[in-house]
Amino acid sequence: MKITIENSEAKFIVRLADTSVILGQRLAEMCSKGPTLEEDIALSNISLDLFGRADELYKIVAKLDGDKFTPDDYVFRRNEREYYNIKLVEQPNEDFAYVIVRQFLHDVYAKEAFTQLLNSENKELAGLSEKVLKEIRYSYIHCKDWINRLGLGTEESHKRTQSAVDHLMKYVEELFNFDALDKKYFVDCEKLKATWNTEVDTVLSESNLKRNAVAPLSMRDFRDGFHSEHIGHLLSIMQYLPRAYPDAKW
Amino acid sequence: MEPGDKVWEVFVQKKAGLPFKHVGNVHAYDKKMALQNARDLYTRRGEGRELWVVPADAIVSVPLDEAAAFFDPADDKVYRHPTFYDIPASVGHM
Repeated sequence: MKITIENSEAKFIVRLADTSVILGQRLAEMCSKGPTLEEDIALSNISLDLFGRADELYKIVAKLDGDKFTPDDYVFRRNEREYYNIKLVEQPNEDFAYVIVRQFLHDVYAKEAFTQLLNSENKELAGLSEKVLKEIRYSYIHCKDWINRLGLGTEESHKRTQSAVDHLMKYVEELFNFDALDKKYFVDCEKLKATWNTEVDTVLSESNLKRNAVAPLSMRDFRDGFHSEHIGHLLSIMQYLPRAYPDAKW
Repeated sequence: MEPGDKVWEVFVQKKAGLPFKHVGNVHAYDKKMALQNARDLYTRRGEGRELWVVPADAIVSVPLDEAAAFFDPADDKVYRHPTFYDIPASVGHM
């Protein structure tokens, strides 16, 4: 079964849905591996929020596209090149600093993106945005506080966090290479970029972290289904069960 | 956990006006982390609308070996319960 998405608004929303589900899966990998029991539960909570958000977004995608597919179809039956998540969220959990920095960079983006979508003409999307913004604000606060602690903490925590920032910033540039769909469905693309830069710079500088110059990556855009090397491994684990046992129910 | 962490006692208020109830404790390094950990452990199923966290070492409690002196004398003073009075019917529920 080939999963196709025709409707232009659905094509735009599936990017948000894919970004949520892939980040949710990355965080789910942290379950039972958190640095403390409390943080383990916090990360799992955020992961569940992301899966819930993705599910709702896929339902909107399905509806816009004539209900040909279910959220499960979108998640479990598409291949790498049919996924449209931002590359940032598929980067692996190298250490706790990576997990937190990745989440923070994502949350700043998601916070402004869903704030703009509050004004969407699609009432379901506008309503969902209001709900998910509360989740995003919490996750944002949680990660911002951790970046403060790690950046201002020990020599080791600072070094690891700076190295996570330096690495993950490579995957940010593409967020702001807006295409026609972005321009149609976001209220103000330039504001999305400006807000992101201001908030990230503020939190990094108050945490004694630098935003070093990043060499441009020669990777093509996530909007066209391009990825880093990591997505295949992630999908093979996430999709294994429903692909091996298509009739499985849970 | 590592050195530097503390135990914080967690209190949840279910609705405005109701008393805060002790629900358990969390480990955390600072106030913000204590609140966030408490939120994630104790209020993710709609249990509350407000949270307090208190460093466990800020709570003063009766030493266990003095518990008898503190509490046992209350055991045989039934007259301290106001159960010997007739309450006029017109008072209704007290």
